[in-house]
Amino acid sequence: MPRYAMVIDLQRCVGCGSCSISCRNENNVTEGIYWSHKITETSGKFPNVRYHYIPTLCNHCTNAPCVRGCPTEAMHKLENGITMHDPKKCIGCRYCMINCPYGVIYFNWKDAHPSWRAGNSVIKEVTASPAEEVRKVGGKGTPYYNPERDATLPGIRPKGVVEKCTFCDHRVKRGKLPRCVEACPADARIFGDLDDPESQVNQLLGKFRPFRLKEALGTEPAVFYIRDFSSAGYPRTKGGI
Amino acid sequence: MKEKESNVVTTIREILSDAKLSRRSFVKGSAVTGTAMGLGFGWKPTLRALAQASAPLSDGMGEWMPATCQGCTSWCSKQVYVVDGRAVKIRGNPHSKVNMGAACVRSHLSLQQVYDPDRIKTPMKRTNPKKGRQEDPKFVPISWDEALNTIADKIMELRKNHETHKYMLMRGRYSYMRDVLYDRMTKIIGSPNNISHSALCAEAEKFGPYYTEAIWSYRQYDVLNAHYILLWGADPLAANRQVSYYSKVWGDVVDKATIAIVEPRLSASAGKADEWLPIKPGQDGALAVAISHVLLTEGLWYKPFVGDFKDGKNLFISGQMVDEEAFEELHTNGIIKYWNLELKDKTPEWAAEITGIPVEQIRRVAIGYGKAAPHAISWLGGGPCMQVRGGYSAMAVHALNGIVGAVDNVGGTLKANKEYTGKFPKPDDFMDDIAKKGKKHKKIDQRGRLQFPCLKKGKSGGGVITNNAADGILKDDPNEIKVAIGYMNNFSFSAPQPERWERALSKIPFLVHITTNASEFSWFSDIVLPDTHHMFEKWGYVKAMGNGYRHVTLMQPIIKKVWDYKIDETEIPWLIAEKLAERGFDNLLRHYKTYKDPETGKAPTNEKEFALYALKYVTQNLWDPAKYKGGDKFNGWEEFRKVGVWNSDPYPFRKRWGKMKTKTGKFEFYSETLKEALEKHAKKHDTTVDEVMKATNYLARGETAFIPHYEEPFILGEEKEFPFIHVDHKSRLNREGRSANCSWYYDFKDLDPGEEVWDDVAKINPIDAGKLGIKSGDRIKLASPTGSLICTAKLWEGVRPGTVAKCYGQGHWAYGRLASKIFGKVPRGGSSNDLIPAQYEALSGSSAYYAVTRIKIEKV
Repeated sequence: MPRYAMVIDLQRCVGCGSCSISCRNENNVTEGIYWSHKITETSGKFPNVRYHYIPTLCNHCTNAPCVRGCPTEAMHKLENGITMHDPKKCIGCRYCMINCPYGVIYFNWKDAHPSWRAGNSVIKEVTASPAEEVRKVGGKGTPYYNPERDATLPGIRPKGVVEKCTFCDHRVKRGKLPRCVEACPADARIFGDLDDPESQVNQLLGKFRPFRLKEALGTEPAVFYIRDFSSAGYPRTKGGI
Repeated sequence: MKEKESNVVTTIREILSDAKLSRRSFVKGSAVTGTAMGLGFGWKPTLRALAQASAPLSDGMGEWMPATCQGCTSWCSKQVYVVDGRAVKIRGNPHSKVNMGAACVRSHLSLQQVYDPDRIKTPMKRTNPKKGRQEDPKFVPISWDEALNTIADKIMELRKNHETHKYMLMRGRYSYMRDVLYDRMTKIIGSPNNISHSALCAEAEKFGPYYTEAIWSYRQYDVLNAHYILLWGADPLAANRQVSYYSKVWGDVVDKATIAIVEPRLSASAGKADEWLPIKPGQDGALAVAISHVLLTEGLWYKPFVGDFKDGKNLFISGQMVDEEAFEELHTNGIIKYWNLELKDKTPEWAAEITGIPVEQIRRVAIGYGKAAPHAISWLGGGPCMQVRGGYSAMAVHALNGIVGAVDNVGGTLKANKEYTGKFPKPDDFMDDIAKKGKKHKKIDQRGRLQFPCLKKGKSGGGVITNNAADGILKDDPNEIKVAIGYMNNFSFSAPQPERWERALSKIPFLVHITTNASEFSWFSDIVLPDTHHMFEKWGYVKAMGNGYRHVTLMQPIIKKVWDYKIDETEIPWLIAEKLAERGFDNLLRHYKTYKDPETGKAPTNEKEFALYALKYVTQNLWDPAKYKGGDKFNGWEEFRKVGVWNSDPYPFRKRWGKMKTKTGKFEFYSETLKEALEKHAKKHDTTVDEVMKATNYLARGETAFIPHYEEPFILGEEKEFPFIHVDHKSRLNREGRSANCSWYYDFKDLDPGEEVWDDVAKINPIDAGKLGIKSGDRIKLASPTGSLICTAKLWEGVRPGTVAKCYGQGHWAYGRLASKIFGKVPRGGSSNDLIPAQYEALSGSSAYYAVTRIKIEKV
């Protein structure tokens, strides 16, 4: 059984967020919930300023605090290393959210895709209502609903349960890369098997000094980062007194 | 919209380490349950839906279909994942050598566009005869038949009265099927007035390369072989062109090349640059000539391209004239004249004060750039040139490529590769006397007048001055406009000082709009026709270049059409032609019937056949093996259609050295090409070039008019009343101002550096904000001498003090439920165009967007 991991090459990353929007799309994630997300920072003072971007997602920790804290085993580890959630077992207690040090688990406070439920139209008889559009197109929740998500998890998660990134387990199961990896225009995400010494993931982990988020906590994330978002050069200097 | 999250991590420092918890205590702590007490329960999971939800493994439910994205002018080839006729996902078309399978972030928003519930699903007409921003048009649905009959009647009335020149066609986003509607229909009806949006886009950007190396076009850049990339107001990782391609390779580009970016705002590309040069708006020309000065004084020009001093000694010494005879020039023209007339005194010290960039940085960038010659790109974006006096900055910035020999060279700046699409049949034989006479009238945008040279490709009045058409309409000058059609344009939102368009459109007695959404333009229309979405529902093609290739990529109807849309550039003109024929004027229909299917030789019999045959007709050279001319080879239409994209042969480097289409055949620092164009324009108006300079608001006199040079920017507003210079910029999520009705746009708006989700912010330097007592989140009003908008303040270090950066894209008061706060009444956010005055770079006809106005900030 493989043990999946992701390497994010920050130098290749251009901070565009294609990962996040394509994830929304693939997993039919509702507004305001970000399975794939980022942290940005503008550092320095004008004119010595730079913008930095770190993509984030569920780290699929080996030592997952969300799993340990779940009273119903809804949050669980798959053999392939993916941290998976079973909404059927979820009681909505949100311990996992409290325990996750990365803030990547979200709670469905309301029914998904609220804006698509509206029944009013902007111009009477000339434009449709969102609900009518979904019906007429034949989607579910949204007109561009992805039915393939439904293979291993409800295509749209109901109110009252948590949800988060699953490393696109439904795709991985069919031998396909997670959607964020496929969709990254910069090829900044590299996915593969940690147990295969020849995998591209291991090749990169051997070449660079990778880092993981909040490593000191001992969660053993399966998401590794290499290189820097900014690879700026600067004039040689020893500084001064 | 955003729910409160627990454990929200907000800074990079915070997520890289956590000093508060040790490894032991954290992992142990995570197993306990008491921490959740404060959250409160009372949430009953909805489990009913789940029981039905577990379906069998759904594998391969859809198919990737070829498509083309026109979310920006990169014009990438894409693929759409179609499940049961429904568009579900987007990716790059792996067959394209231009975008190489990459899809930028904005492409995904097309899904929310095509299924936008606020798209009009049927033709409609206004029932309120009064037109104006405050007048609800009271639209009611009508049939296609009624709509087309009305349009045909109005056109026939013009024909009957021999006033066909009062017909006007306005073009917005187009494919290369455009000529069917834009050119052929306008000509055969008999009007000169086909007005494109091009001068709102980038004409001034084409001015620089045209009057140096005779290409009126955008360029492509050989970034993977470049050692230095100097970006001027260009943001290739966020705004066009070839965002997908540059996103794909940038991680490798930064390994090899030094990246320096000139821009008053810290852009997405600046985030990954080695040098940021936050220039004072409008001073780009000063920086460009100062860099040129350093290149010459330091002996860093590329001798195999430019040539050298006859005795090998560098005579370019600051402040000193050089004898033209002393230099033997190779593939360029006028390097010594350029030095003597402009560069000799333009030292970094001179430029530092004007530009706000330190002397050391100017020198460092210049020397780094020069040492990288000839693999050193000077990349001209819209910023430095879409300014009132930006034409010569465009030349100065592009001329840097000439100095370092990057023109047409490996690791340099390239033109488009050859492609072999054809043209539609000529309209001449179908133009009757009324049409011929009508077409002879002058155009409504007043191009070619003394103050509007619009020197596209060297011709006086050769290019469009889009935004001035509003004034032409308002003043009936050269004549009134009685019947007008606009398609996929939205001038009353997308053009500076749009209030003029509101009045102009209200004045046109009969206005038709072909559009997907009821926009700010539709608001003034009598009839609105529902358009197809280019990416999923239309037959068409576009050409684009990048990565040393050119591709021709197809648009095809690949999804189930939900409502009654028709294709703007083919189906609708055909249907109008049928209606005109019914009324005894069949010239247009007879013309369209000559667009025969190359495979069967059959003439089209209805609008659907016409749309397809017209496309096959113009692209035949690409897919018909019998007509093969180069690039990718197909065995027929079906194969081309399935692949969806044709690629050219690779770029032939340095083939144009010494054979450019300029007057001298060389790369012109002293532009004989511009001299001829200006002299012809002056002669046409019986005056001198100096008078043309004066009329177009330029300061150059004499020979300086023919060389790249610095001009002090022309910025509206007194500094005392309007202390800040407005900096307009684009969003990586913009689909040309048409994504504001997509929820993803707002949920991800902070993908633009400095921006916020679900808000529209003006980015202000904290030093300036402090003086005004403004905090992030304050509601503020920005006002220029010509307009104002209301938005939210955001304090940000990524803007130059003395400037305010505001992103274009929001501020719609129509277009849809999300785009506007109250449809037809209240905008969501503020549109930059409400601040920008209608000013022009008149030599190209371009609207000025940058360094064109000062503004003030007031708390509201």
